[in-house]
Amino acid sequence: MRGSGPLWLAPLRRSPLLIFILLYTVVSGGPFIWVALMSLRTTPEIFASPYSAPSPPHFEKFVDAWTKSNYSTYFWNSTIVVVSAVALLTLIGAMVAHCLARYRFRGHRLVRFVILSGIILPPQLLILSLFQILLEFRLYNTLVGLIAVYVAGHLGMTVYILEGFFAQIPQDLFDAAQMDGYSDLEIFWRIALPIGAPALFTAVTLNFIILWNEFLYAVVLLTEDDKRTLPLGIMHFMGSHQLDIGMAATGLMIAILPVILLYAFFSEMMIKGMTAGAAR
Amino acid sequence: MGEVEIHGLSKRYDGSPDLAVRGITLTVLDGEFMVLLGPSGCGKSSVLRMIAGLEPITSGTVAIDRKIVNEVPAKDRDIAMVFQSYALYPHMDVFANMAFGLRRRGVPRSDIERRVNAVAVKLGLAPYLKRKPHALSGGQRQRVALGRAIVREPKVFLFDEPLSNLDAALRVTTRNELIRQQREIGVTAIYVTHDQIEAMTMGHRICIMDRGEVVQIGPPLDVYRNPVNTFVARFLGNPPMNLMDVTVEDTPAGMSVRFGSCSISAASWPADELRRMGSKAIMGIRPEDLYEGPLREGGVAIQAATIIAVEPLGAETLIAVSIDGVADDVMVRGGRETRLRTGQSATIMLDVSAVHLFDPETTRVIARSQS
Repeated sequence: MRGSGPLWLAPLRRSPLLIFILLYTVVSGGPFIWVALMSLRTTPEIFASPYSAPSPPHFEKFVDAWTKSNYSTYFWNSTIVVVSAVALLTLIGAMVAHCLARYRFRGHRLVRFVILSGIILPPQLLILSLFQILLEFRLYNTLVGLIAVYVAGHLGMTVYILEGFFAQIPQDLFDAAQMDGYSDLEIFWRIALPIGAPALFTAVTLNFIILWNEFLYAVVLLTEDDKRTLPLGIMHFMGSHQLDIGMAATGLMIAILPVILLYAFFSEMMIKGMTAGAAR
Repeated sequence: MGEVEIHGLSKRYDGSPDLAVRGITLTVLDGEFMVLLGPSGCGKSSVLRMIAGLEPITSGTVAIDRKIVNEVPAKDRDIAMVFQSYALYPHMDVFANMAFGLRRRGVPRSDIERRVNAVAVKLGLAPYLKRKPHALSGGQRQRVALGRAIVREPKVFLFDEPLSNLDAALRVTTRNELIRQQREIGVTAIYVTHDQIEAMTMGHRICIMDRGEVVQIGPPLDVYRNPVNTFVARFLGNPPMNLMDVTVEDTPAGMSVRFGSCSISAASWPADELRRMGSKAIMGIRPEDLYEGPLREGGVAIQAATIIAVEPLGAETLIAVSIDGVADDVMVRGGRETRLRTGQSATIMLDVSAVHLFDPETTRVIARSQS
């Protein structure tokens, strides 16, 4: 028997949940839709009537944003920095997580503590020392410097996500591969990595989203306009003397497009990775 | 060739004060099927893993074909292992699983295909070569694990309780399949199990282990019939051997063993051994060596027995008997047509030639005199 009482009461019983979901959707999706609508309107139109629908929609603003400002440069800078950082993070993070999950060595707990403690340090705390270090290594105001900072800063979280998953891979698989003649590195490459794919997708997606939107390190460590990443580029439309809110909205839509695409492709994998081991 | 020689093998795990394996010495002949049998935690899997090279050796040596391999990594020992969990690579299909070891060894692609296909046909896996392990049944997975070992054509097979994840019916058929494959291929096999039926049916010889030590090695029936101590006597056989405290009497007529109202001659055992033990001994008798009657030659009747349970199993009936003043839970293997009923008093017959006597101090068996 499922539930009790008359059938017509069923929607009423579920209404608190439906109202909550509706409110949550409005709160989280509303601003996004508003920005999406603004991205197709000009700034005077928006100031005249902030909440109206685009009439007519100005699709040409996307072309303008891309061609008439430095947006394409910001986009490629972001792509280079984020793709490189995420690739390095995934590879190094997977290796570290595999080691911590699989091998017991002297200082194991200390190494783990040091790596994972990176998660709890607020970025504001590190920014001055990182600035100094990058200056000394001549990496200040370079994309390589920002990539290095991103990799170091997010390694803890990546290892944290991956270690739990790797620890669940049965030891027998590694033993079997060893008996099949494979070395430790080959076993990592051919067994641990493919089996850990759901967790890797989770790490890739999360890191990509976080780094694509990262502002603090980028604004401090990059000063030249042609080195800037997308979040800094959006600031370009919101200078201290002018506010081109229409173009800023168009810029925002361009900026979040890769994140939406990535999430659309990998969300299922990501959920699988996050819930792995929750139930047998 | 695939002779495995283990000498003085010991293992101590980090953080443990005790040895998990204590100075084991054992030789497995080329082509032999040796079963390591013992209760959980007796060290049998540790021995197997040390032979495989998956576990460092604390002391002692492992030699394959008379070459000590202590320092040889697992991948270079030319050993294949079948795991309890099957350990199939979940991201590879059946073909890739079976070919994985061959690829590493640089076997030409055409040879890999030929060998994998031949083994797949032999094990009935040909229709499943493109399937991933999750799409296979437990029995099929087990066969893939076996196929992966066979296709390597190694010097030695190691099996770590490979049947324990299968249901009872499948276990019997897979067991027979495994025996057939090993006999056909003729490769040395070392098989770890805690299941005595597997040990009795599969091994050329069995090695019984307890608390990290070898207790007895021999052909299954020899070990079953002639256990060296009470541990083996109780561990092998289902129901296990009945053990009863008995009194040894030294009379002018000769030595005898008395239990309850019964007395049997102890002339077959060395008198000085029996005297050394004092008046106490442990008598062991298998359930099938106790019977309802009529009394056969060489038998003796035990009166004052009360039936406390009758368990009809179809082909036979297990009868639990209490013998006054001796033991409360003596098991008798009766025929399927038994007329004995719970609560009834009965006379049970005992085959004197099947009686074992054990030293109560050392629990070791007292060998019968050869004369």
